[in-house]
Amino acid sequence: MAILSHDDILKLAQLARLSLSDEEVESFINEISSILNYVEQLNEVETDDLEPTNQVTGLVNVWRPDKVINYGYQVDDILKIVPKMHDRYIRVGRMIE
Amino acid sequence: MPKIEYILTVGIETHVQLKTKSKLFSGSDNDSKDSVANTLINHIDFGLPGALPVLNEKAIELASKAAFALNSKPSYFSKFDRKHYFYPDLPMGYQISQYDQPIIVGGYVEFYCNDQLRRVNITRAHLESDAGKSIHPDNQNYSLVDLNRAGTPLLEIVSEPEMHSPEEAKAYAHELYLLMRYADVSEANLYYGNMRFDVNVSISKDNQLGTRTETKNLNSFRSIERAITYEMNRQIDLIESGQQVIQETRGWNDTKGQGYSMRSKENADDYRYMPDPDLPPILLDDQYILKIQQSMPKLPKYWRQQVSKHSLSTSIIESLIEAEIEYSLNNLDYLVNLPTNQARVIANWLVNIELPLRKKLAESAKNIELSDKNIQQIYNQVYSIFESGEISSTNIKLLISQLLTMKKLPKDVKEVAKESKLLQTSDEGLLNDIVDQVLANNPQAVKDLKEGKDKAIGFLVGQVMKGSKGQANPTIVTTLIKSKIG
Repeated sequence: MAILSHDDILKLAQLARLSLSDEEVESFINEISSILNYVEQLNEVETDDLEPTNQVTGLVNVWRPDKVINYGYQVDDILKIVPKMHDRYIRVGRMIE
Repeated sequence: MPKIEYILTVGIETHVQLKTKSKLFSGSDNDSKDSVANTLINHIDFGLPGALPVLNEKAIELASKAAFALNSKPSYFSKFDRKHYFYPDLPMGYQISQYDQPIIVGGYVEFYCNDQLRRVNITRAHLESDAGKSIHPDNQNYSLVDLNRAGTPLLEIVSEPEMHSPEEAKAYAHELYLLMRYADVSEANLYYGNMRFDVNVSISKDNQLGTRTETKNLNSFRSIERAITYEMNRQIDLIESGQQVIQETRGWNDTKGQGYSMRSKENADDYRYMPDPDLPPILLDDQYILKIQQSMPKLPKYWRQQVSKHSLSTSIIESLIEAEIEYSLNNLDYLVNLPTNQARVIANWLVNIELPLRKKLAESAKNIELSDKNIQQIYNQVYSIFESGEISSTNIKLLISQLLTMKKLPKDVKEVAKESKLLQTSDEGLLNDIVDQVLANNPQAVKDLKEGKDKAIGFLVGQVMKGSKGQANPTIVTTLIKSKIG
């Protein structure tokens, strides 16, 4: 039975860059624990002799020749969705001190 | 305080930018050097919802070549995984990398450090896409991101922690540079960040490894050596003062010559690796691998072996190997096929006359205009003049420097030497006058010589050589002086 701690939730929140209120942390302890418990049923399946499934398509070596592709739109059209530009740069919060 | 000997242990992760025209998973132009910010991007690099990455075939070919350069083989099976972390230069929220089944497993690199042959084992090397580039303007509360580099194919080469001095780490990194250039896998231009190094450093008093730190993003061989030396001393100071080394990621300020703490290292599972469902795995067969093997260019190891039959010094050989790629020359093959005596002399000219000249010219953005073939013809002709004893070593340098800066190959090298008065003269009439003059001007040396102080003869011969502007043949001058003083 997986019971997550307060700290587990805070760590998950930090990895997901989410800030949670104390009530939210409390409620996620139960919600996420119950999801984990549900998924834990899979552990009952015998998988000792099986290769892990990484892909379900059955495809291999899907590759393209090394050529520059014109996708038929202007680069600047993509930049329009950027919240804040600074000259041609994407402006973001300061990353280092 | 008693001096305690610490053992330094270093492992290096090297990011090598692969020489492809387009990016690893998108058709954007991969040549981002000197490009205008955010012009070489598309919906895939930008991580827009629904964008499908498609692998660049050339990246697999280059990584396979790198495998052979690292004395390994490309894996039959490899796959791509998502490595999750949030950072403003990573639009997708994850980096496409290879986690447990990389394209290269095992291998080693051999190189010389202080004339000693060293071998460092390679743990693995995996393909991954690069992140964007960030700029942090001074005194501002924001950073700026350019995504032109996002999606550039990188091969991350991970060494075993087997290096034990800053010099050795530097020599390893330099050898990787040579290998990537010789194998034609990367432009390996350090100035443009085509190779970046993360160094893992720890110290200990015994064979038990100490806590390590990782100094990231070093971009020159010199900074590798300096950053490791700095980090080693920092760790020793901590331990000597009773403190502990904390496992952390560090940065390096090359201008200040100082490392600095960045953040505590996240545990590996914090990246939440998972197989990338968009990218089917790579399956290489023997035929593909053999074809790559057969297409491999000759590597430094081959040339070292070949050239060693002329018993050249390690430093001469290494200079030649470096110059070969630095200036796109074909001298190694030429030297290998020369008789040993000639090869040794010409190798010396190459390293001590031609290379400094090239370096000097490059400083003023100039170049030697003659082709390798022409330069080799010049060397062969200068060598026969040298063999006949008609030229002094000082004048050989002058002659070669003069010839190499010519616009085209002269008809007759000896004629050029004659015109520039660089050949030694055995014209005794002319020499007589100079010798008489020198003897008259240096009565003390003449006295010394008469008293049996043989050292004086060297001085007098030197004066005559100077008086003749190097054209005198020293053997004849010596005979002349002896006969006059008798």
